[in-house]
Amino acid sequence: MVSDDRSPFPSWPAAAPAAPVPALPAAGPWFLARPNLGVLIDLLRSDGRTVIGPTVEDGTIVFAEIASADDLPAGVGDVQAPGSYRLVTHANRRVFDYTVGPQGPKRWLFPPRAPLSVGHRDGGAVTFEPAATEPSRLALIGVRACELAAMGVQDRVFLGGPFTDEDYRARRGNVLVVAVNCTTASSTCFCTSMGTGPEARGGYDLVMTEVDDGFVVRAGSPEGADLIARLPVRAADAGLVVEASDAVARVAAAMGDPVPTAGLHDRLLAQWDSPHWVEIADRCLACANCTLVCPTCFCSSVVQRSDLDGKVSASDRVWDSCFTVGFAKVAGGNFRTRYRDRYRQWLTHKFATWIDQFGTFGCVGCGRCIAWCPVGIDVRAELMAIAPPLATRAEATPVLPVAATPGDYVTGRVIAKRPETADVTTLVLGDLDPAFLAGRPGQFAMVTLPAFPPLPISISRFGRDTIELTIRAAGPATAALIGLSTGDQIGLRGPLGTSWPVDRAVGHDVVVVTGGIGLAPLRPLLDALIAQRNRFGTIHLYYGARTPADQLYREELRGLAARGDIDVQLIVDRAGEEWTGPVGVVTHLIDRATWDGSRSFGFVCGPERMMEATAEALEARDLSAERIFVTLERHMECGIGLCGHCQVGRLFVCRDGPVFSLPQLGDLLGREGI
Amino acid sequence: MTTRGARGRLRVGVAKLASCDGCQLTILDLEEELLAIAERIDIVEFPEASSLRSAGPYDVLLVEGSVSSPDQAAEIVELRRQTKTLVTIGACATAGGIQALRNWSDHEAFRTAVYPRPELVESLDTATPISDHVKVDAQLVGCPISPDHLRELLAALLVGRRPQIREEAVCLECKRRGYVCVMVATGTPCLGPLTQTGCGALCPAFGRGCYGCFGPREQPHGESLARTFADLTAGPADVARLFAGFTAWTPPFRAIVDQHGGPPGRTPGGPATKEGVGDARR
Repeated sequence: MVSDDRSPFPSWPAAAPAAPVPALPAAGPWFLARPNLGVLIDLLRSDGRTVIGPTVEDGTIVFAEIASADDLPAGVGDVQAPGSYRLVTHANRRVFDYTVGPQGPKRWLFPPRAPLSVGHRDGGAVTFEPAATEPSRLALIGVRACELAAMGVQDRVFLGGPFTDEDYRARRGNVLVVAVNCTTASSTCFCTSMGTGPEARGGYDLVMTEVDDGFVVRAGSPEGADLIARLPVRAADAGLVVEASDAVARVAAAMGDPVPTAGLHDRLLAQWDSPHWVEIADRCLACANCTLVCPTCFCSSVVQRSDLDGKVSASDRVWDSCFTVGFAKVAGGNFRTRYRDRYRQWLTHKFATWIDQFGTFGCVGCGRCIAWCPVGIDVRAELMAIAPPLATRAEATPVLPVAATPGDYVTGRVIAKRPETADVTTLVLGDLDPAFLAGRPGQFAMVTLPAFPPLPISISRFGRDTIELTIRAAGPATAALIGLSTGDQIGLRGPLGTSWPVDRAVGHDVVVVTGGIGLAPLRPLLDALIAQRNRFGTIHLYYGARTPADQLYREELRGLAARGDIDVQLIVDRAGEEWTGPVGVVTHLIDRATWDGSRSFGFVCGPERMMEATAEALEARDLSAERIFVTLERHMECGIGLCGHCQVGRLFVCRDGPVFSLPQLGDLLGREGI
Repeated sequence: MTTRGARGRLRVGVAKLASCDGCQLTILDLEEELLAIAERIDIVEFPEASSLRSAGPYDVLLVEGSVSSPDQAAEIVELRRQTKTLVTIGACATAGGIQALRNWSDHEAFRTAVYPRPELVESLDTATPISDHVKVDAQLVGCPISPDHLRELLAALLVGRRPQIREEAVCLECKRRGYVCVMVATGTPCLGPLTQTGCGALCPAFGRGCYGCFGPREQPHGESLARTFADLTAGPADVARLFAGFTAWTPPFRAIVDQHGGPPGRTPGGPATKEGVGDARR
């Protein structure tokens, strides 16, 4: 059983082994200037090949026959999301600055309709003539790593078993592949999780990585090396090679690991009766689009067309799908009448039973089933909801605070200080009791210096050996804390209070909304989300500040935005000359968003009126109140529900909060005078 | 009852009720095979092709059109009585057709608005599919029907097998033909995911969303697509309009139209609203 195989494509191709490619001296890397790409296409055509490559058609970049480099999508990119694909224009003239189009090479190797045979009936005698395949010689240009992997999967399906598909074999043997390493990724891409990309690892004749002025090219076969010898290339210098490999590495980092595949086979097959199948069936149209855009799906049916006397009948093989009603029909019934049955069949096949049958996943992470689903069902989110990864860390274990009672402080030591804004500073504390390090996002500490009143301060980061406190100079006590020097000690109790329910949000989208210093209590939450990025759906961070200079953790925010898998949006009340972002209140960002919040959790921290308005805006986006959490700020002396200062209605913010769900607070949130 | 015609051939008739004759014309569209078909069956009644009239009985009767007048309601019962295998053809016969949009409106208001002497016009206040009136043995959907489907039906009848007509969504045909999905690529609402194939994905081939001419496919999940349409359009009225086409009166589409306030431009007071027909189907 291959349930823990992180790299399901160990040797390619498994079923159609080519002659081993020696480390050719001519393998490269070479540099091909962009204007000379046309020479490659001309060469392939003069070799008698039909060249299939990317070209803009019907608002998409499709794979179709091209006559010259002029047909390539120069300066055109794509933006893909669940249920959406749009072209965009780039300032550069790159030709491979997009990801994958509506259909890949599959339709040239496994065409949608292929003749099988013609049957004749003459009295009592019948004869059959098999159809002959004489495929033309093709060159596929711009094949991505995921698509190469998909060709490897179909090789196993069609050629790897005791019976083979001769039509496929004939077509497959006539194809020359010019692969392209991805230097960009769509939001729908997850080849990193499936172990297939973004770098092509074999199965190509040539592979190119696009850089500013052209392509770093390597040969992967003798035929590829022969092409190189006829191309106007020069040896690629080290700078170009690094530029190319860095670009691919950045794409891999941006994708992260949205679908942890460790144990996925067993996780999924343990969920035959998951109630989530029914939930998916409420959205699934069973329209079959996911299967028909999938580069590995291989199901087909035989259709016949007979003459009027039933004497001559031609049979064709056509693409079919396990989502159609007739697919599992037998005389007298249908094994998969319900949509939930069909979705379960598809998902468990792609990610589990395919491994049992063919030794690889049936998914290569190209994301087409996500983008081309008319209702935007995201297979990654469904997988995480149905078969969540095994917990890496027992977060739910309650942590008993140390030195809980007032007066019973322990110490920590300032080991670093970071100014955040004009009046906000972050203290990094070390030398701590281990209990502090086991605290949970959203918890706070009672912090004091002798002679100053103790203050409740949110823990803004849990490090390996440190915690961080982000403090605004609002009065003498906070000023004294900020005024500490590295090496100074500080009094601490905690960690105290409730935490953001990170575990409950697993498998859902997350919306984090905050303003000003409110980002500090949410930073450990963001850390936790990022640490397990793949366990959540989309993540949005909306952060408002008075001015750009009042934003906390600016460098980190830039880093978050650059990941590509978190939607970071900043807004300010008053913009300076350098601010090019939006101006206004943070709820504007929610009002302008286009996502559907019915599957989202919302985490909010800021001034109470802001949280009230935010909660309203989130509920208007179909977030249920039970899934919206806020954190309250109150005066606290004890932090453990004994001093009475922080009472809000029937609640003590320190003990029952500070993190509350909206229903817990009822109409108390934002109410004056409570 | 023996109905075999001359030389033991099938006696086939074509009849029409309220319809545009487009489906009958599809029979003539078979062109190159028309002669071969005519050699194998006796077409004894075909108003669009011949002025010859023949009473039943029929082995096979192809009927187009909806039941829209009292005469037609009586006629279809009589035709049924004379027919062994009754096949409805086209959106009007199988789903009520575009004229079934009047089922949501006040029929009397239309009559008085359109005709100077409405008392001379005998029409029912609904246009309904033939299956609401008599038993139907087989149907070919579409507006108009597909020549391929018709040919397959006739070939199957002649050979004595079941017609092989796929009941899947238009989407499969789009993908097989390599048409780019208009919903995903341009945000154009398209009924393709709910609509039975057969047209060859004609509208998406030209960048248009599917109008649902072939009606709902098996088990269509209208609610989910309607939710997405709501995101793509200005609101419920647009969703209703998208579903309120040639096959609006089929129960799956009718339910969506009703959930979104009925077809645009209707005059309230029609049978659907009076009797809550749509509600009962939901």
